Amino acid sequence: MKIQTLVVNAVIAALYVAVSMVLLIFPPLAFSNIQFRIPEIFNHLVVFNKKYFFGIIVGVFLTNIFSPTGVYDLIFGVAHSAISLGIVILLGRIIKKPVTHMIANTLVFTFNMFIIAFELYIALDLPFFWSWLTTAAGELGIMAVGIPIMYALNKKVRFGQII
Amino acid sequence: MNNMMIIGQYVPGNSIIHRLDPRTKITVIFFFVVFVFFANSFWSYALLTVFAAVSVIASRVPVRYIAKGLTPIWFLIVFTFLLHLIVTKEGQVAFEIFSWKIYTGGIAQGIAISMRFFLLIVVTSLLTLTTTPIEITDAIEEMLAPLKKVKFPVHELALMMSISLRFIPTLMQETDKISKAQASRGVDFRTGPLKERIKAVVPLLVPLFVSAFKRAEELAMAMEARGYQGGEGRSKLRELRIGKIDVLIYILFICVVAGLFLLRS
Repeated sequence: MKIQTLVVNAVIAALYVAVSMVLLIFPPLAFSNIQFRIPEIFNHLVVFNKKYFFGIIVGVFLTNIFSPTGVYDLIFGVAHSAISLGIVILLGRIIKKPVTHMIANTLVFTFNMFIIAFELYIALDLPFFWSWLTTAAGELGIMAVGIPIMYALNKKVRFGQII
Repeated sequence: MNNMMIIGQYVPGNSIIHRLDPRTKITVIFFFVVFVFFANSFWSYALLTVFAAVSVIASRVPVRYIAKGLTPIWFLIVFTFLLHLIVTKEGQVAFEIFSWKIYTGGIAQGIAISMRFFLLIVVTSLLTLTTTPIEITDAIEEMLAPLKKVKFPVHELALMMSISLRFIPTLMQETDKISKAQASRGVDFRTGPLKERIKAVVPLLVPLFVSAFKRAEELAMAMEARGYQGGEGRSKLRELRIGKIDVLIYILFICVVAGLFLLRS
């Protein structure tokens, strides 16, 4: 791994955690921050360059370490992100337009919330489909909102060229 | 904001739990998370509760820290309990509320699930309360070491985590500074429709990304200038070592697991 790639990913992970924590400053946005995390929009970074994969995974991992639910979310949270990002990277071979790719990314992450619903099902015995629906709705909302935000950010920051 | 700068939940101390090798803590907690699902009787839950209570006492972490960690999930525990109370219709009718029958099976199921989740949270939070994030990173690097054989970038991943941990407070300060600067220009993060508040996040993220990438570039240049060449042949400041206490804890935990299977109904 190139030093630039390693360091940029580390900083992206740090930014993921920092923005997650800053969310606490805005209580109305953080009311359901278990699944409604603003840095979830960073998942769109793999659309611009697949090398952001590790930065996002480490960000999710560290955020879950600092979360009150402790290591419990680690396995399922990281698995959800890793599987989804893997699928999105593979989709990048056939989808070339960034916006279409981000829409696909949103749908993949939303669909894969069944992993989190499964976590809730085995941990709390909560109804699987109900949990899937509610967690997926939160993910769909934040990821959809993230499309114009990341598109606008990319015009200024050029994510694809930095890493 | 100052309180927010204290990232993680680590409570410094020198208790037996603090001194355990982080790999031992991760392994024991991982298997606790697995085996807690095997509890299905009063006595099996009682055994796991005693194990959790002894662990908390041995960690010497003030109970208020653990209670603080539980605050955000009380709602989930109570909600789950009530859901099982309403949905489960097994056993005899215990009582009626507004002509809604509550069954003994529902009460038992609600208590069992809530207790299981409570135990999971208490025991898993002990890891982050008694282990620094850097120790966790070191432990993960050691535990993932076999994956190096299949060319998985274990060292790079661990270094990435260490660098991230170093940058989190800096970027949080930066976020705070930028959000205050934007607020002084009239950007309102706290009120208004959700759409407007989301929009307000953009002018926060642009300078944040620019500044973060600038820091990354400077660090990458510094590392290259100092001849960083990956993990090959590098020594470590902190060496992890499995001691006698760790072995004792493994034996104790195996006894608890054996007891759990004996006490299952």
